Amino acid sequence: MSVVLSVRDVVKTFGAVRAVDGISFTVQKGTITGLLGRNGAGKTTTIRMITGVFFPDSGSIEWLGSERDARDRIGYLPEERGLYRQMKVKEHLLFLAEIKGRRGTSVVQAAERWLKRFELWDKRDAKVEELSKGNQQKVQLIGTLLHDPDLIILDEPQSGLDPVNMLLVRNLLRELKEEGRTILLSTHMMAEAERMADEIILVHKGKVVLAGALDTVRDSFGKNTLHIDYEGDGSFLEALPQVRRATIVNNAAELSLVEGADPQRILEATMGRLRIRRFELAAPSLEEIFIEQVGAETMESIR
Amino acid sequence: MNKMFAIIKREYLQAVRKKMFIFMTLFFPVLMAGLFIVPTLVVAKGMGGKKVAVIDGTGALRGSFSHRIEPEVPDPKKALSGQNKGELPQSLDVEYVDANRQPRLDAATRPYLDRLYLDKDSGNRLDAVLLIPSNAFAGSDAKMTYYSRSSADLISLERLGSIANRAVQRQRLAARGIDPAVVDTLTREIPIDSVQLSRSGQQKKGNEANFIIGFIFAGLLIIPSFIYGLETMRGIVQEKSERIVEVLISSMSPRQLLTGKILGVAAVGLTQVTVWLTIIAAAGSFGAASAMMAGFDISQFLRPMVFVYFALFFLLGYLTFVCIYAIAGAACNTDKEAQQLVAPIQMVMMLPWFVMFAIITNPDSSFAVALSLAPVYGPITMFVRTLVSEPPAWHIVVSIGVSIATIAAFFYVTAKIFRVGILSYGKRPTIPELWRWIKVA
Repeated sequence: MSVVLSVRDVVKTFGAVRAVDGISFTVQKGTITGLLGRNGAGKTTTIRMITGVFFPDSGSIEWLGSERDARDRIGYLPEERGLYRQMKVKEHLLFLAEIKGRRGTSVVQAAERWLKRFELWDKRDAKVEELSKGNQQKVQLIGTLLHDPDLIILDEPQSGLDPVNMLLVRNLLRELKEEGRTILLSTHMMAEAERMADEIILVHKGKVVLAGALDTVRDSFGKNTLHIDYEGDGSFLEALPQVRRATIVNNAAELSLVEGADPQRILEATMGRLRIRRFELAAPSLEEIFIEQVGAETMESIR
Repeated sequence: MNKMFAIIKREYLQAVRKKMFIFMTLFFPVLMAGLFIVPTLVVAKGMGGKKVAVIDGTGALRGSFSHRIEPEVPDPKKALSGQNKGELPQSLDVEYVDANRQPRLDAATRPYLDRLYLDKDSGNRLDAVLLIPSNAFAGSDAKMTYYSRSSADLISLERLGSIANRAVQRQRLAARGIDPAVVDTLTREIPIDSVQLSRSGQQKKGNEANFIIGFIFAGLLIIPSFIYGLETMRGIVQEKSERIVEVLISSMSPRQLLTGKILGVAAVGLTQVTVWLTIIAAAGSFGAASAMMAGFDISQFLRPMVFVYFALFFLLGYLTFVCIYAIAGAACNTDKEAQQLVAPIQMVMMLPWFVMFAIITNPDSSFAVALSLAPVYGPITMFVRTLVSEPPAWHIVVSIGVSIATIAAFFYVTAKIFRVGILSYGKRPTIPELWRWIKVA
């Protein structure tokens, strides 16, 4: 595997705020790398430096082995919608390809292919502003891919999409990966990252707090998380002495156990109080890891 | 380069497809012409007949007022060029009252003054009353009085007064035994023809028409700069607020983007000017005769050099303004903020327009020369000078040079502010902050 993107000790400050505080990571060719973190963690600023929108205060960014030429081989989907509202859909797509240096029949054909695939063919001559938010997002996504980029940088690609379109995007990303393209996916939706990413980079307060292959990261946290599905009132689970932290949603609990805790004791405690449908000791979810890493102080402030 | 072309193409196509462009291109010259010509014609022709009572205390002037006074030639050309000063601009229906035997003139006048405020439809309503005192011929302190509903009815006042004065003079002379026919010969006024002599000895005529055409051209030159300048500013603000700029800047340098935008807008302006000049030329060749009939000798304005200068100074003025607006757009985050920033600057830029009267009537004054050689004001002032006068060649060359340097400097500053401002979201920068941006970028 070769390195497609390498970010070294990058710093960016806005006034007194250190938005990005010495971030380093690499992205391997043919992988989906998840750039994770809370809103305001520094993800978007990092991406804007990678795409050349901001200059870093210090540090270096190398794309595809060279400093600058590779710009046209990157496809960038910004966090917020960035389309001219007055332009027609197809015309806009061709414009987006053209500013990446691509034009001619092959691009037109590609645009038509994408429009059909994303069910936008009927809307090809509609103005962007006439489209729904989800459809605009799809147009933006096509614009990101139309010039056939090798490195695709997506900042919150699924915001504003319904579940069907989310699935569409998910499948698309897998497909792109199979074609050998490299994807950097920024998101705060941990479940989505867990489904998609091969590698993760967890950013918090402008710093990388955790990075590596998803499986390795999860394994390193050990199998000390208990997943319980049940019927009944499970709110007492949180108070059990073996439980360090609990996430309880509807009739499912994810319990992070204290070191050396015996899951058997917890099972015993549920006897007579809950009707157990699933009881599994597993690696923690990305969300658990995230909360673990981001720290108790953040969690406290939420409560 | 290809990327810049993509920007130029987009800016151009988006602009020329707008209804605003089509309207501006096809109707603006007509609108401008209408704006200046129609009121002039209206004033010259008068708003229709007026009914005036002349109370003559001398009782000797019946001859001058006894018939309905028709303008001799109801020709707007003459009215415009001021050749019929002695005539009435509108038909005046005069009701002559011989008040010589009246013991009290003011009592005799009263009923006529009351008729000023009669019902409009009664047919008896008067628009004005002119009172000529009985001592008009001999009294050294004799004074006529003109009563009317509107104090600003200057044309009727002036013309009526001049007719009365002529009549009084004629009577005074006749009283000394001079034959009225001789009096007419002696008091005949000589009309003045105004001729502008060019360096090459060519003669041009036009008078007030020159003035109007100067204004029309100045309007054509300056107004689109404001309109498209504002459009450019809005476009930049929109790109920022809708984050399109992120996609653009991740694909090209800010300088490429800005150059593309400004060239695109310039192409729009050039298209507009080309269409206008074509319309004017066509209207000129087809309509010169009818324009002549309407009182304008426009052939002198259809010189090739006028077209060349118009296109040249249009482009220079246009680019200057567009750069200024682009700075405002790059520095601000909302249309409203940008408008506020640009409003005072706009007033300053409008200066030549406010002093256009002085420039047209006195195109070679040191004020006009200074303005035509100054940055920002140069293009419009210089063009108007070339239109109504013949400034020395070095004035024109210096003016063009100054304009190009101004545009280059503005472009440099705009590019700097663009680089920083386009991505800085938040409050509108202060002037010191802008200055810092220029230095750091």
